[in-house]
Amino acid sequence: MSVRRPQPDAAGWRAEEARLGWWLTLPAIATIGLVAVVPIAWTLWESVHLHDLRMPWLGRPFVGPANYIEALTTARFREAVGHTLIFTVVTVTLELGAGLALALALNRIVRARGVLRTAVLLPWAVPTVVSALVWRFMFESPAGVVNGLLVAAGLTTAPPTWFADATAAWLPLCLADVWKTTPFVAVVLLAGLQGIDRSLYESAQVDGAGAWRQFTDVTLPLLKPALFVACLFRVLDAFRVFDVVYVMTGGGPGTATEPIALYTFTSLLQNLRFGYGSALSFMVFVFTFAGALACLRWLAGDTLLDRAR
Amino acid sequence: MNRRRHVWWLGLVTAVAGVLPACGRADPHVLTFAGSAVGREAEIIRRQLERFQAANPGVTVELRPTPDAADQRHQLYVQWLNARAPDPDVLQIDVVWTPEFAAAGWILNLDPFGPATEEFFPAAIDANRWNRSLYALPWFIDVGMLYWRTDLMSEAPRDLEALGRQAIRARDHAGVPYGFVWQGARYEGLVTVFLEHLGAYGGQILDADGRVVVDSGAGVKALTYMRDAIDVDRFVPPAVLTWQEEQVRFAFQDGQAAFMRNWPYAYALLEESPDSRVAGRFAVAPMPAAEGGVGTAALGGSELAINAYSGDPATAYLLIDYLLGEEQMLERARLIGQYPSRPAMFDTPALADALPVRRDDARRVIERAVPRPVTPVYSQLSEILQVALHRALTQQQEPDAALREAATAMQALLQRVRLAPSGS
Repeated sequence: MSVRRPQPDAAGWRAEEARLGWWLTLPAIATIGLVAVVPIAWTLWESVHLHDLRMPWLGRPFVGPANYIEALTTARFREAVGHTLIFTVVTVTLELGAGLALALALNRIVRARGVLRTAVLLPWAVPTVVSALVWRFMFESPAGVVNGLLVAAGLTTAPPTWFADATAAWLPLCLADVWKTTPFVAVVLLAGLQGIDRSLYESAQVDGAGAWRQFTDVTLPLLKPALFVACLFRVLDAFRVFDVVYVMTGGGPGTATEPIALYTFTSLLQNLRFGYGSALSFMVFVFTFAGALACLRWLAGDTLLDRAR
Repeated sequence: MNRRRHVWWLGLVTAVAGVLPACGRADPHVLTFAGSAVGREAEIIRRQLERFQAANPGVTVELRPTPDAADQRHQLYVQWLNARAPDPDVLQIDVVWTPEFAAAGWILNLDPFGPATEEFFPAAIDANRWNRSLYALPWFIDVGMLYWRTDLMSEAPRDLEALGRQAIRARDHAGVPYGFVWQGARYEGLVTVFLEHLGAYGGQILDADGRVVVDSGAGVKALTYMRDAIDVDRFVPPAVLTWQEEQVRFAFQDGQAAFMRNWPYAYALLEESPDSRVAGRFAVAPMPAAEGGVGTAALGGSELAINAYSGDPATAYLLIDYLLGEEQMLERARLIGQYPSRPAMFDTPALADALPVRRDDARRVIERAVPRPVTPVYSQLSEILQVALHRALTQQQEPDAALREAATAMQALLQRVRLAPSGS
C-alpha cells in the first residue's frame, strides 16, 4: 500500500518552506554561535569568577559581580573610560571634518581622479603599527623631526618632551590617528557625494541659492547616510583603539593616555588576571554593542527605510 | 607587531606542546632547555649544550629558543607551565619570577638535589628562595652601576649630592649636554633605578616582614631627588622618561652624558663599538649613597630552574649543574661580559682576563646588590609602582601622593592574594 502524501494546502506549504529555511540557515547560525556567542558567553562566565593564572593557589571561585565592582571603583579604569571618550570625540570630529573637505575637493577634480583617489587612500593602507612607529620617531625627544622643525622655525627653543608630558602626548597620538583614518572617511563620503543627483544643484542655482546654501540645503542632507556610516565605523573603531596607543605612548606618561582596550590588555595578557580582564572586556563589548545597535536602528529608521519607500 | 608575534608564538607552542611530550616520554633522557638564543648568547649555549651531551652519552638536549623581551618570555612560560607541559625541562628565568613560579608550584624545589648554595653570592641565593626553600640557582648576575667619564672628572662621586654637583658642572663647563642619564620609561627598568635611589636614602619597597614601606620618608626623598634632577636642577634630561637601556647607552656612547646608570652589558659595547666616542674615557663605580642610606645596586640576572612536571628532573639538574660550572661561566664572561654568580671566581686571574671591567669594581657592586621584593606578585607590585613613579616624574602627581597611592594599592593587592603579613 503506497502512502500518498496529501496535497499540501497553502499554509502547510508555507510552514514547510519556513522549516526548510531554518535548516538551510542552521549552519550559518551554528557558525555564528560558535565564533561569537560561545566566546562571549565564556567571557561572561570568566568575568564572574576569580581566575588569576599566576596564582593557582587562589583557585577559581565564583565571585559574582566582584570583578565589575573592582573595575568601577578603580580610578585607573574610570580614567581609561574618560581617555577613550576624549580620544573618540576629538579624533572622529577631526576625521569627519577633514574627510568631508577632502571628499568635496576630490569630487570637484575631474582629471586624474583615479590616481588621486589612490594617493589619498595610501595612509589608510599603511599598517597602523608602522605608521604609529613613524609618528613616534617624528615626535621623539630630543632628536625627532618635529622638535627640529619647531626650533628651526624659531617657534621655541625648548620644545616639549612629547611623550613625557601628560597633555602634550595627546597631540602626536591624535594626529597619527587622524592622518591614518581620514582617507577612509573621505572615500566613504566621496561615494555619497557621487550619488547626489547633479540636477538638484542646477535647480538650486536657478532658485538663486549660493554655494554655501547649496552645501547646507542640498549636499549635507543628502550626504547624511554616508556621514552616518563613516561616523559609526569611526566611533566604533576609536572606542576600541589599541594599536596606535600601544606603539606610541604605551598609555603613558603614567597612565595619562591609556584607553580601555590597553588597560584590558594589561590586566588580561600581562597580569594574566583572566577574571578581572574578562569583566573589562565584557563591559567594553556591552558598550560597543549597545552603541552599534542604537546607531543601526537610527540609521535604518532614518535613511535605509526612506530609500526603500 | 608584538601582538602578531604573540599569536605566532602561541601557535608554535600549541604545535610543539602537542608533539614533544610524546617524544619526551619515549626516551627519558631527552631534555629541552628554554632560554635566550639570539646572537652570541645563542652560540655560547649551543656550544655548551653540545659539550654537555658529549660528556653525558645517552642524554640529548634540545634548545628551545624563547622571545628575548622579558614580558613575552614570561607570558610564554606561564602558558606552558599553567598547562602542565612536561617540557621545557630546564628554564632560564628572570630573578624576579622565581617566587611567582615557585608559589604556583610550577618549578621544583632544588634542595633535595643538595646544591652548594654557599658557593654563590648570598643575595642571589636569597632572591631564589620561597618559603625558605630554594627553587632556582643563579646563572649570571646583573647589577645596576654608575658609569662615569674619566676625562671630565678625576673621581667617581661620593654621594648623590656630589653626583648632582659634578653633573651640573660637566653640563655647564665641559660642553656635555646631559649630566646624568638613566632608564626612566614606564617599565621594569624604572623600578630598578628607583630602587637604587631608594637604597641610597635607606629606604625599602617592602620591609623584612613583607609590609609595604615604599611611601616612607626615604621613599619620598629618593623620588623627589629623581624628579628635581629633571625639573629643578636639570642635570637629567626629561627625555629619559621615554628611554630604556639602549637609548641611555647611545646617549652616553655618543659622549652626551657625564654619568649613566646601566647594567654591565654596556661596558663591552662602549669600549668596542667603532662609533663609541667614550672608549677608554669612562669607568664604572657603585651607585652612590645619600644621607641615611648606602650605595645600592639593583640585583638582576638570570636563574636556572626545573619544570615541576619534567619527566626527568635528575638529568635536568645534571644539566643545570653543568651550566653553572666555572668553565661555562667564564666563557659567558669572556664572550658577553656577564658576571659569574660565584664570588670565588672573582679572585681568579682568568676572570680578570675575561671581564672588560676591573673584577674588583664588579665585585664591589655585586656585594651591594639588593634584590627586588621577593614575592610571587612582584610583577603586579612593580606595575603599580611603575605607574606611580612615572606620574610623579612627569609632574602629574607630587612624589608623596604618588607613593602613598601606590603603597595603598600594593597593600590591597597583597591582601587580596592572601600574602599580606598578618596583623597589617
